[in-house]
Amino acid sequence: MNPVSRGVRNAFRNGIRTGSIVLILGLSIGLALTMLIAQKAVDNKIRNVKSSIGNTITVSPAGFQAGSQANNALTTDELAKVKALAHVSSVEESLSDRQSTTGSSSPSFGRFSGTDGSSQQTTTSLSSPITLSDGPRFFSGDSSDSSSADTTTFSLPVSFLGTNNPGSVSGNTVTLSKGNAIDGTADTNNALISTQMASKNNLSVGSTFTAYNATLTVAGIFTTGSSNQGAENTVVLSLPAMQRLSGNSGSVTSAIVTVDSLDNLSSVTDKVKSTLGSTADVTSAQQQADDTIKPLNSVKTVSTFSLVGAVVAGAVIILLVMVMVVRERRREIGVVKAIGGSNARIVGEFMIESLTLAVLGAVVGLLIGVVGGQPVTKALVSNSTASNSQMATTNGPGGRGFHIQRTGASSSGPVRPAGDRGFGEHFGNNATLRGVSDIKAQIGPSILLEGFSAAVFIAVLGSALAAGMIARVRPSTVMRTE
Amino acid sequence: MIAVKNLVKTFQSGETKVTATNDISFTVPDGQFASIVGRSGSGKSTLLSLLGALDKPTGGSIVVGDRDVTSMHDHELISYRGHSIGFVFQNYNLVPSLSALENVMLPMEFAKVPKAERMERATALLGEVGLEPDQMDRKPGRLSGGQQQRVAIARALANKPKLILADEPTGNLDSATGKMIFDLLHRLSRTENTTIIVVTHDLEIAGKTDRTFKLDDGRLVK
Repeated sequence: MNPVSRGVRNAFRNGIRTGSIVLILGLSIGLALTMLIAQKAVDNKIRNVKSSIGNTITVSPAGFQAGSQANNALTTDELAKVKALAHVSSVEESLSDRQSTTGSSSPSFGRFSGTDGSSQQTTTSLSSPITLSDGPRFFSGDSSDSSSADTTTFSLPVSFLGTNNPGSVSGNTVTLSKGNAIDGTADTNNALISTQMASKNNLSVGSTFTAYNATLTVAGIFTTGSSNQGAENTVVLSLPAMQRLSGNSGSVTSAIVTVDSLDNLSSVTDKVKSTLGSTADVTSAQQQADDTIKPLNSVKTVSTFSLVGAVVAGAVIILLVMVMVVRERRREIGVVKAIGGSNARIVGEFMIESLTLAVLGAVVGLLIGVVGGQPVTKALVSNSTASNSQMATTNGPGGRGFHIQRTGASSSGPVRPAGDRGFGEHFGNNATLRGVSDIKAQIGPSILLEGFSAAVFIAVLGSALAAGMIARVRPSTVMRTE
Repeated sequence: MIAVKNLVKTFQSGETKVTATNDISFTVPDGQFASIVGRSGSGKSTLLSLLGALDKPTGGSIVVGDRDVTSMHDHELISYRGHSIGFVFQNYNLVPSLSALENVMLPMEFAKVPKAERMERATALLGEVGLEPDQMDRKPGRLSGGQQQRVAIARALANKPKLILADEPTGNLDSATGKMIFDLLHRLSRTENTTIIVVTHDLEIAGKTDRTFKLDDGRLVK
């Protein structure tokens, strides 16, 4: 019998004790593995989020939040200065507004009243395709409107978006299913509507509807790649037409600046800030990504500490067990030394014994990790994103104004471009966080290898003190009677 | 030949200095069966530890054959214990997780004897000390005291040592079994030409050995 088989056999001298140790060790390694799985999943998610960062900068009027009744706005003249900056590829400008539906007694929530306060208090002949029974929950966060929101018969207002880039709505690329695109720079009364809006209002290409006391023609009907009630409830016009119809000539409520390279994003962001000064809020995609991964980083920190704690706990368990075993077998160690066994050989045998326990613990731990990895990861991320989301709702800009929050929906898309803020933000401003929550824990060979490596590390670390004790056992111990 | 000269071993017990062996000198020729007698605490077991290189003396020398054991380094002592000394203990001190056969093979494994040879020699030795074949695969817990001591003697003989040191080998056995074990050791000293030194309380056993040393308070008095 060689030292390896002796070491393995020694691990099973006391079945009940071995079983208990393996179980406790398994729980420790299982926790370590679960935390490792969570950490890897979070790492992957952070990598994905970072890789999806666009080289864009969002510009909005200072303090302006879509949905609030702010009176400030950017102007096309100001944005022209931004367009002229080095490394700026393009500037997508948009003006968003809402129109109450005909016959509704609801107040005009979230209307942008323009720089001169001349925004027209009009209604549209359209009806919103979104119904309250579909799941969205209406509430008014604005104290001035809360009483009416609770008591009046309410039909959702329809969003209107004027943009010089009608190819994108609510951060989603628009795909025309019928009709033609519109020119974002031409001042015409042509509009794009969603298939849901067309269906709700029995409209087709060439049909007309009214808004801002004007007759608008449906030029095209679009679909969006993913379910987005913000986009479905939006009428898209060219920017000049929207400025004219809403009486906000030259005003812009949101702009997306595209930079020629990610490397220049930071420097251009600073230049845009200094160009626009205090009139605008400037946020780069990098900053948005940083905000998005903030809850993930906290999960990563928690999982790292838990991982280290679990590995250390495992090592301490093995250490105490091996110390106990060495104390029990002092005489036996003395005998083996007396008959020619070297310290190295005896320590080796004990390390094999400790490794056997650790590997058995790792097998139990792997089962725990495989079963618990995904739910624990999801729970950690959900809790973290929920608390961040709550903080954002309580303290952040989205806490005011008009909101319809969707529940239970999932978004797996990339980080939403900044242009989404025009109106899409009302319809689930936590979509990015929901995307972050949609995290997949994967258990591959590398995880298994790392789990077993942790077991070996635990065994070696836990045997270190025992090895020192073994070296100190004098062979003359064997001469002493018990 | 074992030559012990001016052997001294002192211990520190609290603030008191205890002299376990005090200036002991003697010689034992090869193949002789010697015994050491004395009261408890007279230094018998300490002397045996020093002879077996289990402990280092404070002063003096022990020469076995042509090698001075007291000047050996630790790694040399391990080899010396493995190859040149065989131990038999009062409590048998077999490894409980190994079978009788594996216990006898263990010192041969340390001496790097090939596995087949280990197996063959261990089986022969166990047969020689009177263990039945069906008992060879039993673990110590399933052997009687006498059978365990036989296994211990077979283990002590495994590497054909020049010297066998036995500490009260019959101390835990009934008189009949004790006599059987003593006769076995006596016979082995003749057939294997091995020097055997036995520590015992039993003066009857001591009287049957070739030579008896008597210790009193760490000193050799006879």
